[in-house]
Amino acid sequence: MVATTVEIFMSLWSIFSTLGVLVGVVVMSYMIYLIVKNRARPGGPEPEDAPKPGELPREQKGAKKLLISVVLSASIVLTLISLTFIALDSLDTPPADAMEVKVVAFQWGWRFIYPNGYESVGELRIPRGTPVKLYVTSQDVFHNMGIIGLRLKVDAIPGKTNIAWTRVYETGVYDIRCFELCGDGHGVMIGKLVVMDPEEFNSWYSSLQVS
Amino acid sequence: MDPQQLPPGHSIKRWLLTTNHKDVGILYLVTSLYFLVLGGILALVFRLQLADPGLNILSPPAFNQAVTIHGLVMVLFVVSPLAFALANYVVPLQIGARDLAFPRLNALSYWLYLFGGLLVMISFFQDRTLDVGWTLYQPLSSAFSPYVGVNTGGLGLALLTASVTVSTVNFVVTIFRSRAKGLRLTALPMFTLGVLLTVLMMLYAFPALLAGIILLSSDRILGTVYFTSPEGGAILWDHIFWFFGHPEVYIVLFPALGVFGDVLVTFSRRPLFARRIIIAAMVVVAALSFLVWGHHMFLTGMHPDVRRAFTVTTIAISLPFDAIILSFIYTLAKARIELKTPMLFVLGSIAIFIIGGITGVFLGSIALDYVLRGTYFVVAHFHYTMAGGALVGLIAGVYYWYPKMTGRMFSEKLGRLQFILTMIGFNMLYFPLFLSWEMPRRVPIYVESLMPLQQVATIGGFIFGVSFLVMFWNLLYSLRYGEPAGNNPWGAHTLEWMTESPPPPHNFDGTPTFADGRLSFIAANGAAHGEPETHLSPWPFMLSLASFTALLGLTTHIMVSIVGVGLLAFSVLGFAGERFISREDPLGERWPFDRVDRMKLAWWTFISSEVVLFGVVLSAYVYVRTASATWPAPGTLLDIGHGAMNTFILLTSSLTVVLALASARTGNRTGTVGFLAATLALGALFLFNKYGEWSELFSHGITFSSSLPASTFFLTTGIHGAHVFAGLLALGYLLARALKGAYLGKGHETLEYFGYYWHFVDIVWVFIFPLFYLV
Repeated sequence: MVATTVEIFMSLWSIFSTLGVLVGVVVMSYMIYLIVKNRARPGGPEPEDAPKPGELPREQKGAKKLLISVVLSASIVLTLISLTFIALDSLDTPPADAMEVKVVAFQWGWRFIYPNGYESVGELRIPRGTPVKLYVTSQDVFHNMGIIGLRLKVDAIPGKTNIAWTRVYETGVYDIRCFELCGDGHGVMIGKLVVMDPEEFNSWYSSLQVS
Repeated sequence: MDPQQLPPGHSIKRWLLTTNHKDVGILYLVTSLYFLVLGGILALVFRLQLADPGLNILSPPAFNQAVTIHGLVMVLFVVSPLAFALANYVVPLQIGARDLAFPRLNALSYWLYLFGGLLVMISFFQDRTLDVGWTLYQPLSSAFSPYVGVNTGGLGLALLTASVTVSTVNFVVTIFRSRAKGLRLTALPMFTLGVLLTVLMMLYAFPALLAGIILLSSDRILGTVYFTSPEGGAILWDHIFWFFGHPEVYIVLFPALGVFGDVLVTFSRRPLFARRIIIAAMVVVAALSFLVWGHHMFLTGMHPDVRRAFTVTTIAISLPFDAIILSFIYTLAKARIELKTPMLFVLGSIAIFIIGGITGVFLGSIALDYVLRGTYFVVAHFHYTMAGGALVGLIAGVYYWYPKMTGRMFSEKLGRLQFILTMIGFNMLYFPLFLSWEMPRRVPIYVESLMPLQQVATIGGFIFGVSFLVMFWNLLYSLRYGEPAGNNPWGAHTLEWMTESPPPPHNFDGTPTFADGRLSFIAANGAAHGEPETHLSPWPFMLSLASFTALLGLTTHIMVSIVGVGLLAFSVLGFAGERFISREDPLGERWPFDRVDRMKLAWWTFISSEVVLFGVVLSAYVYVRTASATWPAPGTLLDIGHGAMNTFILLTSSLTVVLALASARTGNRTGTVGFLAATLALGALFLFNKYGEWSELFSHGITFSSSLPASTFFLTTGIHGAHVFAGLLALGYLLARALKGAYLGKGHETLEYFGYYWHFVDIVWVFIFPLFYLV
């Protein structure tokens, strides 16, 4: 597993997509089955209760059949809601020992402010294995910070600070992109997240000159 | 037959002046398809760009404009108006009415829609048009997009909301009051029922959009600071926009659900499965649609409990949809299914909608939103619902009612060809977008590994586009060469098929009734009695042209606006003074409004939408005030004396308007004139006092842009003042007529209707006064 956020997302995603595909396939197969089975054949009999011109609408009775179907989908939906809430608990509670980084989005780039006050634009470096808590805001318009591959996303809104966190278990480089249309440079508002070996990170971090 | 003959179909006069619902329906149809081509071409252009990020077909600003206008045009100027095209043509026929309740207002809605669209198109040629996404997020679209075209586009949207308001009032009154005897609400054909619920949602959703656009335009043009200040800003807009925006999704969809219901019954030869449950489920969705908007804001940092509540409502709204869609599918059991073109489109549309619905549940889950928000997954999802469910569903409706509208059959072969192209093209276009679920939306540049998926999508897009060319050809060719359709080519059971194709101007020979449970016709048509009804009026077109000119001037040259306002005054007087006769049938099913006449119902309906407008404006005030750390104490910024005096003046004027009505009832001319004049004087005094208050503030250097307290005060009381001003204009007109002896005894209702409006405006002030002056 690459990151905590990936873990949380993937477990939920696999349940949603399995159930989603299952429900979709069952319903559509049933529909196609009915269509094929009941296609009008020349000279075939008209259903007994076929609506006649000028008649007020009638209905086919079947509250029971429908009730069963809806109870079934309700139980699926309830399961999904509870699973979402469980996942949300972990997403909403960052670990206490996290490294805290402030992120300021602007037209069109990302500024990162480390705990020691060091600022960098475009690239965020974090150590592998340490939880990182991001305080995200914007200095101009509505942006959204997403780190591709880490299943992490948070709105960057002027006048407001939103929190997101993750813990990445492997070193590597990830794209940070803007996911809310923010003007001409929206498409090129790309930053990098560099996950470093903890020792390398520490030597880099302690060598920083902070004004 | 009809005493007031319409000019023939080839004359331009007919189409400029007509108020007949079938003509207006055709106008809507042609115009919405025209905008469909426009929105479609924009889509194909940026699909080309997306086929290869290295291509430089569109610069980033051009790309942003293309996606923005594509979205706005498709949602607001194509899908909903296409639904209204069918609704205009079909609803009066389905309920056995001769026309809509207010034929002139119906023509007015159409022209306002067309001219609103023209404004949006003109904005293309003014530097830059809207380039901020169809959701107009803040503060990008206020402080950070200083282009004239954005203003013009916004004003175009304002004109559209006016069109929508007029037409919702019209449809509400028509469906409640013009049904054939015995046609209970639950017995309405599914399409009419879908339209009824649609207009009820529109009635309360569009005023929120209008309020949003007023605040936005005021920020952009007058310099208020609703969205440019951090206290209001992004989140305030999100709430306002999505309070409109999510119901809008169902507004777009419900007419298509209605088409599904009617077409399924006709081509499966069976009654709808659990019809009453479908109706109940649709009512639940319509109500719940106003409680799910927060799911568009999951990542904005809302309170965790609020997010959870919105997750529950959002995922829960899928349950009534389950009931609706499953009932549609169960209808097919033991059926005799004829796979004619309309049915093919309905079945295909349902299949596509199922995918859209299931993926919607994904997006309702906040945890998944952490990944899916702002990506192509969302793009795919809402195209599966709005393009596949709604648009393709309405195409089914176009085919279904084409024989009724033209008297000709379309080519079944070409219809099937379009169906196949649509299904292939649509799924090739949008399914790969689900698979691009980590790619941000609205970017011309993306990672290379996604190129194959995006290229498949682009090819699919062109196939989808070609499928519409097949349709246009089919519809045009068949207009001339199609087989004659006869009254009821599909063997359907609903009322629109029980008359000629195309129907005569008065729809039915005789008055349809279901009084004894089955359709019969009472010999005489209501049109035959009394003075002939009117079917032509120049004023809807003139009013819309005038509004268009007045708004266009705001972003071009002020002289244009002045000409527009002059034209507007002329047209309003022309409209008010015209003798336009349209009668209600004395027989008819009107529950629950048997005792409320149609003008009264129209006024109440309109005022209830005004409640939402002011509700949003006042909520915006409460919102920014709560979000602000400091706010001037009562009596510091605003003089309580001014406010208290105006409260007294306005409440007194409510009393005088009641007295004017009472005098008119008893035939007392002096009293009527006197109390109307008193009301007019009090209203003028209110505005004069307001003027004094404003100029005092201005002289102290406090303007629209000074601060949030100033901005909210000026704009809220400004909107209210505009309502008072409109009331004064109406009062002037009423007074002039009262002097000539109008409204005495018979006709006093007009004063009653005006009274509702006037009391409403007073009540709004009763909220404004304490909120702004005292608290």
